[in-house]
Amino acid sequence: MSHDNSSPDFLQHHFHDVDQQYETAKLGMWAFILTEVLTFGGLFVAYVVYRSWYPEMFVGANLLLDVNKGLLNTIVLITSSLTMVLAVWAIQQKKQKLSLFMLIATFLFAFMFLGIKYLEYSHKFEVGQLPGEYYSYMGPEIAHLNNPHIFFSIYFIMTGLHGLHVAIGMGLIAWLIYATAKGNLHSKYYTPMEMIGIFWHLVDLIWIYLFPLFYLI
Amino acid sequence: MSEHHITPLKTYLVIAGALFCLTAITVWVSYFDFGSLNIIIAMGVATFKATLVALFFMHLLWDDKKNLTMFIMSLMFLGIFITITLLDTGFRGGVNPEVEYPINKRAAFYDSLPLTDTHGNPVDEHGTDSHEGDEDHH
Repeated sequence: MSHDNSSPDFLQHHFHDVDQQYETAKLGMWAFILTEVLTFGGLFVAYVVYRSWYPEMFVGANLLLDVNKGLLNTIVLITSSLTMVLAVWAIQQKKQKLSLFMLIATFLFAFMFLGIKYLEYSHKFEVGQLPGEYYSYMGPEIAHLNNPHIFFSIYFIMTGLHGLHVAIGMGLIAWLIYATAKGNLHSKYYTPMEMIGIFWHLVDLIWIYLFPLFYLI
Repeated sequence: MSEHHITPLKTYLVIAGALFCLTAITVWVSYFDFGSLNIIIAMGVATFKATLVALFFMHLLWDDKKNLTMFIMSLMFLGIFITITLLDTGFRGGVNPEVEYPINKRAAFYDSLPLTDTHGNPVDEHGTDSHEGDEDHH
């Protein structure tokens, strides 16, 4: 393997050297993560404000969510975060095959997450626990509560935007699988894998908050 | 070229194990009622988990500290966002009690919603008993 780093083929001409290219990519990724935190931040503010206005309703309405499915999704997503970080670890050590295997595992866990989410959503559509004016559920445990449709509006928007991030992450991971299998990513150049990894951990990090906020308290 | 930091495999496995344990703990304590402490405990555990993910999985612990600074800045601005908004929505009644809960009235469409069972099917209050009676004969 050549150790001549003066101009490896993955170094773009506008960067001084490989290190600068790597650090620049990382800074850009964190700038993007900052905008992501603020995007979800607006929705977290909505949650906090409405919870402060309707404390009893939130406590009552979260009992309608299935804790087991939420817990299972938490475990699935943490596991996928672990496999993602191990994919980066493996490619750093020149273990291409292990890296590929870990990426495929991450993709499958992401798919599993969306599958469980689909089961949850379809149940809510069936019983009418829907956002805004589409809300029609008046079961005995909730009929006395004030405006539970607001809880479900926030639930669907927040988990929906999170689910969209999972779906986008799946697309990015699929591309990583392709690039790794083709040999475009290797121990000297794995920047895209590390950046998509950071994105994927953000998706995990947001779910770490969504799970207790909607399912537990 | 300086080599990137390579974290030992054991670190990742220990962190993942800690995340699973903390998930189990937060679910377990949710079955007890600590009153207003419920939210604080759940958010405390979540924040601890998020810190582990950010420092170890997102490599912020070993990165150039400008990345960590940026991430903390985003959380600071989120804190400002929440605080300033709550200063409005939480204290409207101090100025004028009538506008304290301007939207707390029950939405009008609830008046036309029939009561349902736990499957979302409308129930009429007299019909339910006989239906349950039928099932007993099976």
